[in-house]
Amino acid sequence: MPPSLAVPCLRGFCTSPHNPQAPFCLLTLLLPPLSLGAPTSTAESINQAYNLALDMQMQTSALLQTYLEHQGTPFSDPDFSSPGLSLRTLPSTDMPFEIWHGLEDGECLSLTQEAFWSFSQHFQLVKDDQSDLNPGNSIVVDQLEEARLKAKGLAGNLAGIMTALDLTTPPANTPLDSVPLGDSVFERKCRGYVIIRDYSFWTDRAVTFLGELKAKYSE
Amino acid sequence: MPDKLYVLNLIVAVIFYLPVRKIQASQVTQGVTSYGVLFGLSVLSEPLPLTPESLSVSINSAKQCLHLQWTVHNLGYHQELKMVFQIQISRFKASNVIWTENYRTTVTRNQVLHWSWESELPLECAIHFVRMRTMVDDARIPVPRFWSNWSSWEKADAQSSLGDHPLYVFPKDKLVEEGSDVTICYISRNHQDNISCYLEDVLTYGKQLDQSVRAFELKNVSFVRKTGTNFYCQGQGVTEGVVLFVSEVLEEPKDFSCETRDLKTLTCTWDPGDDTGLVQLPSYTLFESFSGKKTLCKHRNRCDWQVTQDSQEMYNFTLVAENYFRKRSVSILFNLVHGVHPVAPYNLFPKNVSATNATMTWKVHSIGNNSALLCQLQLLGEGKVIQQHNISVRVNGEYLLRELEPDTEYMARVHCAYADHFWKWSELISQNFTTAEAAPSEAPDVWRDVMFVSGHPTVTLFWKPLSKVHTHGKILSYNIVVENLDEPSSLEMLSVPAPANSTKVTLNQSSYQIHVTAHNSAGPSPASTVAISGHPGNENVEEGRINGTEDGFPMSWKPQSRNATGYVVEWCDGPQNLPCAPQWRNLGPTTTGTVISSGAFRPGVRYTFRIYEISTKRMARLLEKKTGYLEELAPSYNPQVVPNNLTSHSFTLSWKDYPTESQTGFIQGYYVYLKSKAGEKCHRGFEKTVLPDNSVCCKYTIDNPDQKTFVMKDLQPESVYEFLVTPYTSAGEGPLDDFRKVTTPDEYSHILIHIILPMIFCVLVIMIACYLKSQWLKDKCYPDIPDPYKSSVLSLIKSKENPHITIMNVNDCVPDAIEVVNKPEGSKIQFTGTRKSPTETKGTKPAYLDLLPAEKNYSGPGPCICFENFTYNQAASDLGYCGHFPVTPQAPHCQLGPLTSPENLLKTLEQNYMNSLGEIPAGEANLNYVSQLASPMSGDKESPPTNPPEPALCSEYKMQMAIPLGLASPPPSENSSLSSTTLLDPGEHYH
Repeated sequence: MPPSLAVPCLRGFCTSPHNPQAPFCLLTLLLPPLSLGAPTSTAESINQAYNLALDMQMQTSALLQTYLEHQGTPFSDPDFSSPGLSLRTLPSTDMPFEIWHGLEDGECLSLTQEAFWSFSQHFQLVKDDQSDLNPGNSIVVDQLEEARLKAKGLAGNLAGIMTALDLTTPPANTPLDSVPLGDSVFERKCRGYVIIRDYSFWTDRAVTFLGELKAKYSE
Repeated sequence: MPDKLYVLNLIVAVIFYLPVRKIQASQVTQGVTSYGVLFGLSVLSEPLPLTPESLSVSINSAKQCLHLQWTVHNLGYHQELKMVFQIQISRFKASNVIWTENYRTTVTRNQVLHWSWESELPLECAIHFVRMRTMVDDARIPVPRFWSNWSSWEKADAQSSLGDHPLYVFPKDKLVEEGSDVTICYISRNHQDNISCYLEDVLTYGKQLDQSVRAFELKNVSFVRKTGTNFYCQGQGVTEGVVLFVSEVLEEPKDFSCETRDLKTLTCTWDPGDDTGLVQLPSYTLFESFSGKKTLCKHRNRCDWQVTQDSQEMYNFTLVAENYFRKRSVSILFNLVHGVHPVAPYNLFPKNVSATNATMTWKVHSIGNNSALLCQLQLLGEGKVIQQHNISVRVNGEYLLRELEPDTEYMARVHCAYADHFWKWSELISQNFTTAEAAPSEAPDVWRDVMFVSGHPTVTLFWKPLSKVHTHGKILSYNIVVENLDEPSSLEMLSVPAPANSTKVTLNQSSYQIHVTAHNSAGPSPASTVAISGHPGNENVEEGRINGTEDGFPMSWKPQSRNATGYVVEWCDGPQNLPCAPQWRNLGPTTTGTVISSGAFRPGVRYTFRIYEISTKRMARLLEKKTGYLEELAPSYNPQVVPNNLTSHSFTLSWKDYPTESQTGFIQGYYVYLKSKAGEKCHRGFEKTVLPDNSVCCKYTIDNPDQKTFVMKDLQPESVYEFLVTPYTSAGEGPLDDFRKVTTPDEYSHILIHIILPMIFCVLVIMIACYLKSQWLKDKCYPDIPDPYKSSVLSLIKSKENPHITIMNVNDCVPDAIEVVNKPEGSKIQFTGTRKSPTETKGTKPAYLDLLPAEKNYSGPGPCICFENFTYNQAASDLGYCGHFPVTPQAPHCQLGPLTSPENLLKTLEQNYMNSLGEIPAGEANLNYVSQLASPMSGDKESPPTNPPEPALCSEYKMQMAIPLGLASPPPSENSSLSSTTLLDPGEHYH
């Protein structure tokens, strides 16, 4: 029996009456079923996206470390962490694990695609901030540019998968509006940190999700 | 007209001011002035207020400034009045005045006035209140003057625009100069929070200003990094911070100067100093005060200024460096033509280069209206400036360089400066060139070595390469012209290609002059001449010694003729025993001494110097010979000494092969060391000495270097001696580590040798003679045993009557025994030459020769039947008796002779034979044969042998042997061990 988008990402939460993501589940019911007999190019696309996400995941730690090292104390402190910091324009990382895994594949794809598109724009912001702050040092800027391109590429890959699976492609992403935490240099340093931190969260999530998707479509 | 009106009004005002003031003094109250009345001249009874109006306060957060803006009304039109505004600023509450300042300015009617105040405390951290009052401060207004009323407090509240974040830190992104003080504050919405603040990683303590505000005064901040210094505060899960951008102090530009390269563009340069460390770089602006122009410089250290066509010569430049905090400026007064730094000339080339001259040409960039440039042309040889010429040039430069050396590489270089006023040379341009070759300017230094081979002089000519200053080109060959002085027509010429420095010429026994010239592509050098005599000169001059010094070998000589044209000292750089090219030095005719030095001289090497006198005919004659060492060294090795003539008391040491000439110093003699194990006293002439190894030995000094033998005398026979011969020089003796051992023989050994050797020789001669005469000797000494069958006796017998008589074959007969019967009566054995007298033989029993075992208890090796040829009884032979068998008195004819010759033997045999066969009766027979083949059993059946016979032993004849007479003559004992002979008692015998 071919899986359909009604199948949750990992486990079905749609059946749960208390599932806060129920509207998503309902939405996914309307989507056409996802056939396992997808053409090889789909599996290849998924595999390609998975490999890209894996590569991004491996680079994330170095990116964060390099970024923090160049911002000075307290950012460069070994145990620096500021979980209270958040950026409302960034993709949400608040969704509980169970809910995320209760989402349909199509929904997960859509959210992930939107997230990485957003990250690509946020990286442009951080890159500009760092260029202004320290024009002579290109290490951080270069790594941010690389992350930006990869995030944008992954978003494109995911959009391609969605198209291949006859899923609705997310609407054209609009440029970012005003992003908070831009009033001072200190805030912009924090903003960069938050963006990279959340980017790390989303790459982990994408690797896991795409790994499962890849396993599902390589059968 | 307006001015006149203004003055009129002012005068009117002053005229009327005082009475009115006097009249209305009581009406003046605080905040109300009557100036308006005066100025307005309209309503004198209503004083017009001069309080600032429309006071507004704004906040500039970036600069932490309060900006005040207000106006002053009630001033007359077109009128100005100097006024002072007293401004008060309060913090947190109006009563808390923290700042009061009087601001003086000239005010016109309805003018909007501005005033700013920078707060050291970030304005966001506190509410500020501002008020002001005014007073006329114009000299035209007589005192006393009075302050107006205070304006109402204006509130400046930056906090109202803040959001609801629990923690704020201010000021944001503040730029500060290194070393300055900064105040940072935070606003905490939650007063319960325990907030810690850090400057980078240093916990900082502040001062609580309000319930929610704390301020931190950072003193003397320093530059940390370009991306700013972080100051942050942490509450409960909240981190908020600011970044301070610390700038290093902007330095004043140094070495500010301007110049022009073409009188069209000015370039000013300076050293901007260290980077301030901020992203915002300081700006540099160039002002020129005479023209009033300015330009923003595009570079940190350089600025270009276009010269206008209005022929401005003087410029007053001011360079202003400016950043956020300060301005720095530096000025110079610059005359355009005094700062001309021309562009480097170009196209520098040599032209018409000869051996001694060259023309250099070059071009210059035109400057101004073809102004002249002063160019300096330098000529460099081997890196040093050897010529320098100044030439005025407008477009093309040209100069003829003279007095150049032929075939020499030169560098020409040129630079130019503004001719009207020297300021700076342009950059140099250079060009290398080489002058043409010229003929060598000096004759080669030639010397010769003459050897006579078969009476013909063979001359080896040597010459030194010309120095570079004289070659004037590459030497291609050396030409040698040999001129026979005895035959003027004979001229021989040969050419030796360079770089050879010698050649050999064989001459006849004539006088010659040899001319040597060096040639390059330009021609020959002057000739150098040497003269050679066809006959050997006097080489036997006395050889003197010289001592070398650090500077070389100093030597002097005595001139022998007055017309010497010079002297030549010749030597060899290498050791004497090695072939080498001679070295020489030419010296002037007045010179009688010199010091010869060479880097090749080494200590310990003998050098010989020959001093020649050169005649007017260029003939060299040997004057003196000197030999010496730069430094004498101790001999490096000892001679190989051979001990010979060794006797028991002496031996001779010889080292005649030791070459004294090739040693490391002049050999002054030799030390002979002698060590003996006995350690006896040293012999005469020796002295006791202690060697470096602490052994004691005797030392003899030979002070004649030519004595190379030494006889070691008075030695002990059969003793071991160690000896060493070492030469010594002025620097010491040779190594003392090669003692040789010699052992003296005993005293008689030579005697033995004198005897034994001749004896051995004689024996050898005898042996050789015997060998050569062996046949003769055999015949004489041991002839062959005669064969009875071939005996002449046989024919003799046969010729007699009995033809049957034959010779008994030993094999055919079986003798039992040979019995020799000694008849006692009347028989007496006569012994001669024996030790026993006949009386001693008295009672001697008859002797039997028994061929069988004689006794039963015989325990010998076994019975043996032997036939002994007693013919060869040596004893008998020697004694003249026929064997030891009992000799009867009837056989005296056996004496002498029978064994010495065959004839005697034959006679003897014949007589015996005749006696045995015919003449002797059976009972009287003396000799009986016992069959050799008979078994002992057959001879004595009743007495079987205890020891059976061994056939092997019995089957052969016993060797003939000589039985000494002594064995037969003494009375035998019963246990005699004789195997084949047993002496028995008379009358007893066994069969």
